[in-house]
Amino acid sequence: MSSSDAFASMIYRQLKRWWNNRSRVVMTVLNPLLWMVFLGLGWGGIFSPQSIPTAPGIPNMPSVADVIVKAIENYFKQLFGGVDYVTFMITGIVVMSAFMASFISGISVIWDKQFGFLKETLVASAPRSVVILGRIVGDGIVAAIQSLLIVLVSLLLTNNINLVNTPIAILYVFIMTLGFTALGTTISLKFSSMEGFQMVVNLITMPLIFMSGVFYPPTTMPEWMKWIAKFNPLTYSVHAVRYWLAGANAGFEYMNPLTDLAILIAFTSLMLVTAVKTFEKTTVED
Amino acid sequence: MSEIIVVENLVKRFKDVVAVNGVSFTIRKGEIFALLGPNGAGKTTTIHIIATLLRPTSGIVLVAGYDAVKNADEVRKRIGVVFQDPSLDNQLSAYDNMYIHGRLNGLRGRELHEKITKLLELVELKEYAHKKVMYFSGGMRRRLEIARSLLHEPEILILDEPTIGLDPQSRAKIWDYIKYLKKEFNMTILMTTHYMDEAEELAHRIAIMDKGKVLAMGTAEELKSMLGQDVIYVTLKKISDDNNLCKLFDFVKACNMLDGNRLELVVDDASKALPEVFRVVSLNSLQVAEASYRRPTLNEVFLHLTGRELRDSLEQPSVPQRRRVRGFR
Repeated sequence: MSSSDAFASMIYRQLKRWWNNRSRVVMTVLNPLLWMVFLGLGWGGIFSPQSIPTAPGIPNMPSVADVIVKAIENYFKQLFGGVDYVTFMITGIVVMSAFMASFISGISVIWDKQFGFLKETLVASAPRSVVILGRIVGDGIVAAIQSLLIVLVSLLLTNNINLVNTPIAILYVFIMTLGFTALGTTISLKFSSMEGFQMVVNLITMPLIFMSGVFYPPTTMPEWMKWIAKFNPLTYSVHAVRYWLAGANAGFEYMNPLTDLAILIAFTSLMLVTAVKTFEKTTVED
Repeated sequence: MSEIIVVENLVKRFKDVVAVNGVSFTIRKGEIFALLGPNGAGKTTTIHIIATLLRPTSGIVLVAGYDAVKNADEVRKRIGVVFQDPSLDNQLSAYDNMYIHGRLNGLRGRELHEKITKLLELVELKEYAHKKVMYFSGGMRRRLEIARSLLHEPEILILDEPTIGLDPQSRAKIWDYIKYLKKEFNMTILMTTHYMDEAEELAHRIAIMDKGKVLAMGTAEELKSMLGQDVIYVTLKKISDDNNLCKLFDFVKACNMLDGNRLELVVDDASKALPEVFRVVSLNSLQVAEASYRRPTLNEVFLHLTGRELRDSLEQPSVPQRRRVRGFR
């Protein structure tokens, strides 16, 4: 029998489940859109000063105000890697939503446990490694589709998105989601209790998001936060996706699309191996 | 090789309970073998170990010659399992559940499609093929699970309480399927049940389990013949200090003290033996509170082996649930 069949069937299952759940499809686009509109447009105004009241009585010096506005604008642009805040944040949100989606779908193995479907996959004749990899890749595809939808929606809010490079950006997103789905899967295979499930999700996802550069550049973080951000795989995918989508370069000096890719691949491989090893040893006792 | 499943001295210890305590049995190719016993007897644990879902604490399990621990992959290729608890994906249709199972177990394409259609027809779910499983009734889900486990025509079919919680019609239907499978594919079937009628109706051989041990094993006839023709149960009002009441009844074939002042007397003809029993009781200035006699069924065999009625032990709660899950979504 061919293992590719089992692999394909798990991908099919994850896609079908996602597609069958229409409200989830809508939410995956709606939720990031809310972030983009309210946080992006809300803060965006602050970082792009439009006017400074010109002091009356100095009629000959209107250009000073302009110079100041320009200087402030440039300062922020430089901080945000060469783009305005709205673009900066929107490109971050693309990664954030894919990250959330993948981590939660990994964690949702716990539902399979509760509703019994996990047992069905545990006794299948296909090798367990193939089964779990199929599941993870299926979730990765779902997350990648979602982030593509979000990129398309973001076109309404900014015109700095480079559509030609979008597939490359999505590829980075896909690699990252495999890693985080695998991490979520491992966590839920290890823990049997549903209690505190939501708490664990928040406890892991929120700090990772805040220390990744989604909302503010990592370069402006306090030292200790920078230090954590360097060990956060999300930082590298945010940086790379921002680079490919908007041409922005907001990150530590050593970061470039290639180092980002290398780090993401290393992270994802490690997570995949861990998930496979864990699934191979899983019993109904855990 | 005629012995397709060999279980030797199997022990499974969970944190605080010994669920299976030294179980041994062998199952021959093409037979229906039932593990009969109350909840918490260790039947499901035994089955989970055979299905490679649990690792034994000690002991050997061989399925078609493969070790269930070391060669789990080979074992999984040969078995189909219907679990006691649901294991369907509720968010998918019946067809998709079957389809994914088929692909996971090496089927594809036209062959798979035809088999799914045939099996859904067999379990009378064809018209609901594209309905999501979440809208199915308990009986429909059960039938779907059985249909699903048959999809890849396993050498060995493992059924954990196949008819638990089903209405009589659905039970009868599932019994028919099980018999059909045996006849049609000469499948080896290992099942657990706490219904005596089910074990008697379906199984070639039965192992009676209680508290993690196999107490007796054989065909239903063999098990019942442990007791002889008739069994008289006499409950005495007040028991004398003499523990050895049995010596009073020297005319019976076998005598056994059960729980609660109850005596089990095995005789050839109960209607003739009863007056004699009453005479002996009153001669010894004891009083009969209750007397009955039955043709032995598996229930009497269980009573004989454990001192408890199988029905009674069903009333007791089983092992406390280890995993507490709160349902949402």
